Amino acid sequence: MQTQHAEAPSGRTAPAVELRGLTKRYGSIVACDDVHLTVPQGEIHGLLGQNGAGKSTLVKMLLGLVSRDAGQILLGGRSVEIPDPLAAAELGIGMVHQHFSLVNELTVWENVTLGEPGRPDPARTKALVRSIGERYGLTVDPDVRVEELSTGERQRVEIIKCLRRDPNLLILDEPTSVLTLAESRELFSVLRRVVQDEGRTVILISHKLDEILDATDHVTIMRSGRVVAQRATCDTDERELAREMVGRELSKWVAASALGDLDRLVDPSHSTDAAMLDRTESIDEDRFPVRLRITDAYLSEEGRPQLQGLSLELRAGEITGLAGIEGNGQRALGDVLSSLIPLDSGTVEVDGVALPTGRPGVMHRAGIGVIPEDRHQSGCVLDMSVAENLVMSTVNSVATRGMVSRSRIRANAERLIEQFEISTPSPDTPMRQLSGGNQQKVVLARELSLDPKILVAAYPTRGLDVGAIEYMTQQLHAAANRGIAVLLISTELEEILTLSHHIAVIHRGAIVGRMRRVDVDAERLGMMMGGQAA
Amino acid sequence: MIESIALILASTMRLATPLAFAAAGEYIAERAGMINISIEAMMLGGAFSAVWGATLTGSPVLGLVFGMLAGLLIGFIHANFSHRLTVNTYVVGLTLNLLVLGLTSFLLDVMDLSQAQVSKFAIPILSDLPLVGDALFNQRWPAYLLWILIPGIWYAMYRTRWGLNMRAIGENPSAVDATGIDVLKRQRFALLIVGVLSGLGGAYLSVGEVGLFNQNMTAARGYVVIAAVIFGGWSLKGTMIGCLVFGAADAMRLALPALGVTLNAQLLIASPYILAILAMVLFAKSNRAPGSYGRPFVRGVV
Repeated sequence: MQTQHAEAPSGRTAPAVELRGLTKRYGSIVACDDVHLTVPQGEIHGLLGQNGAGKSTLVKMLLGLVSRDAGQILLGGRSVEIPDPLAAAELGIGMVHQHFSLVNELTVWENVTLGEPGRPDPARTKALVRSIGERYGLTVDPDVRVEELSTGERQRVEIIKCLRRDPNLLILDEPTSVLTLAESRELFSVLRRVVQDEGRTVILISHKLDEILDATDHVTIMRSGRVVAQRATCDTDERELAREMVGRELSKWVAASALGDLDRLVDPSHSTDAAMLDRTESIDEDRFPVRLRITDAYLSEEGRPQLQGLSLELRAGEITGLAGIEGNGQRALGDVLSSLIPLDSGTVEVDGVALPTGRPGVMHRAGIGVIPEDRHQSGCVLDMSVAENLVMSTVNSVATRGMVSRSRIRANAERLIEQFEISTPSPDTPMRQLSGGNQQKVVLARELSLDPKILVAAYPTRGLDVGAIEYMTQQLHAAANRGIAVLLISTELEEILTLSHHIAVIHRGAIVGRMRRVDVDAERLGMMMGGQAA
Repeated sequence: MIESIALILASTMRLATPLAFAAAGEYIAERAGMINISIEAMMLGGAFSAVWGATLTGSPVLGLVFGMLAGLLIGFIHANFSHRLTVNTYVVGLTLNLLVLGLTSFLLDVMDLSQAQVSKFAIPILSDLPLVGDALFNQRWPAYLLWILIPGIWYAMYRTRWGLNMRAIGENPSAVDATGIDVLKRQRFALLIVGVLSGLGGAYLSVGEVGLFNQNMTAARGYVVIAAVIFGGWSLKGTMIGCLVFGAADAMRLALPALGVTLNAQLLIASPYILAILAMVLFAKSNRAPGSYGRPFVRGVV
């Protein structure tokens, strides 16, 4: 697996990290499956993969945040146990977190000294911050409060915090997700110095192809908890990386199709459904009018841009899949379409009528139904009954002059329970007692009972079993066939490829590419999701 | 005229001192991210226990110690209910406030409490200064403890690792947790400190200024203390200024009728509380509260 490039340094010394058969299961889900990985001393090693590929779990095992089920960790040739983060720090493993673990109100030096024993020594800590800053080009004023720093400077503080403990192995988890291009370049030059001048080892976790290619010596690609490829960076290119990262497996979906008639959905070329072929191959302007049009949407939250000029059209009777890596603006888009937050600029039109954003209930009344991302938090009220949850957004239909009618609530519930095959002991059963699949059916039933023009489904099959996945899939298709414009937000490419007629790729808060389902090739899609023009 | 001003100043200091003891403790708790509303129970319990302790032992000084222990006990109960039994901290606080109010009122009825008061101590020469001499340097002796206590708390909060951790916990407890510090343990410790200091504040009110215990003696001064910390923008200096402002409002209530100013009596009595409500409304938003202010800390992945 390793090339000569890697053998040269490892011939002299034992590899910095060697993982042998590392496995971690969460219930029936295998997060890491027999992972073998060797990182030689003194190199930057890239770990590439989509969300849920098992990168984070792997690193958590190295940091002692998660205990492994099987396998061995060797550091410098010695087998080690890492029970907790403190042990990891003592073994010379340092982590720069994806979400900053800094205290905003405190100054830089106070943050650097936080968590250490003994009396704080301002003079010594400040000198340390300055000397580390000079050595690596991480200049930052130790007396400034963290809240006054830019995100790039905050990252510098994180790195200083990590380097001052003199780690042999540095792990960076998606370090550039909040950085500008210039800040990212600066970060990589620091990492290069750490590796070349001081012989430390860096593991860089990323899903961005360009930075993996720019910054690393070797790259390991993970998919569905397995290591699928290892390459010397100089021997590979972005096409190969994209292909390996995205893969061609439709594992879960193939499993779901074994239960029913999903085959034609998984592979449209086998489809016998003429209407569907027609729809995927051509856009008939008249038959499929635009229902929802978002134009030039900009939105920032707490100074961080979420949407940056996003424009999107949804047509009646079509499922548009929004593909992208998590954290590229999907949540903000879902929130805007649920009337939860206003746009900074840009418009949202339904059937050509512009709607005010961020005003409670407006989107809903205009005919946008939403299956929210987190059904427990915003999809339903777990401690209320199935019947009450089913009328939650249509409560006016069962009320007269402010008084709700229990019999009408019950009749409505019985009708929907039958129609959507919700398996519940009774309409009065609390939502909490239903399985995840049936809770999702309740949410779906409620949103579809409104007869929406547009249905936004965010991660509709997350955490469901194959039977429930098949059900949801069929329901979304049926909805599209009835003329509803469906927006499917998901980070699971298989889900999008299975369901969508059209695919739009979101990256950094904007749509960077569109393609029809039949035109999809995994390589191009993977490159777009990784932020490469394609 | 000078005489009346000196009188009002002296009265302000007298009334601000119990607030200042309690506020010094509440300041620490709020910087550690907590709004400790059981401070009212701590003060009232401290006031009662001080008189009770003085009656038992015959010594008002031991009465002060009793007051501090009563506050400590209430802090201990609060900490364990809200952290170990995970009852909502505000429910615990309100329950304790009502419980202590009822209990002290009942015990006052069934017990035979005597009068007891700590002595005054006038600092020579300084107490003869015009205007401020009487206010600052002719007080019941425990009041002078504030001169040590307040700089001491400032030093602890800003110069020691303990204080750094406390401030960090109030801002971002998850980050502190990730560095290996037991957040809840430190917050419980802060509650014990508030208990001791608020107990002392209540005790100063009873065996210090008044010399006996009345039903509901603190009369919501605990909430005024919370208002003082908010008024002060969560700085120690501002908190103490807040105590002086509320002390002054209380002093005016007593002084204005004596000076011949006639105002609506109900309005006068309500004035410190109106001021406290105004302070909370005006300053709670404009001042920068600790980042995790009033949010219970739950461990989890950052």
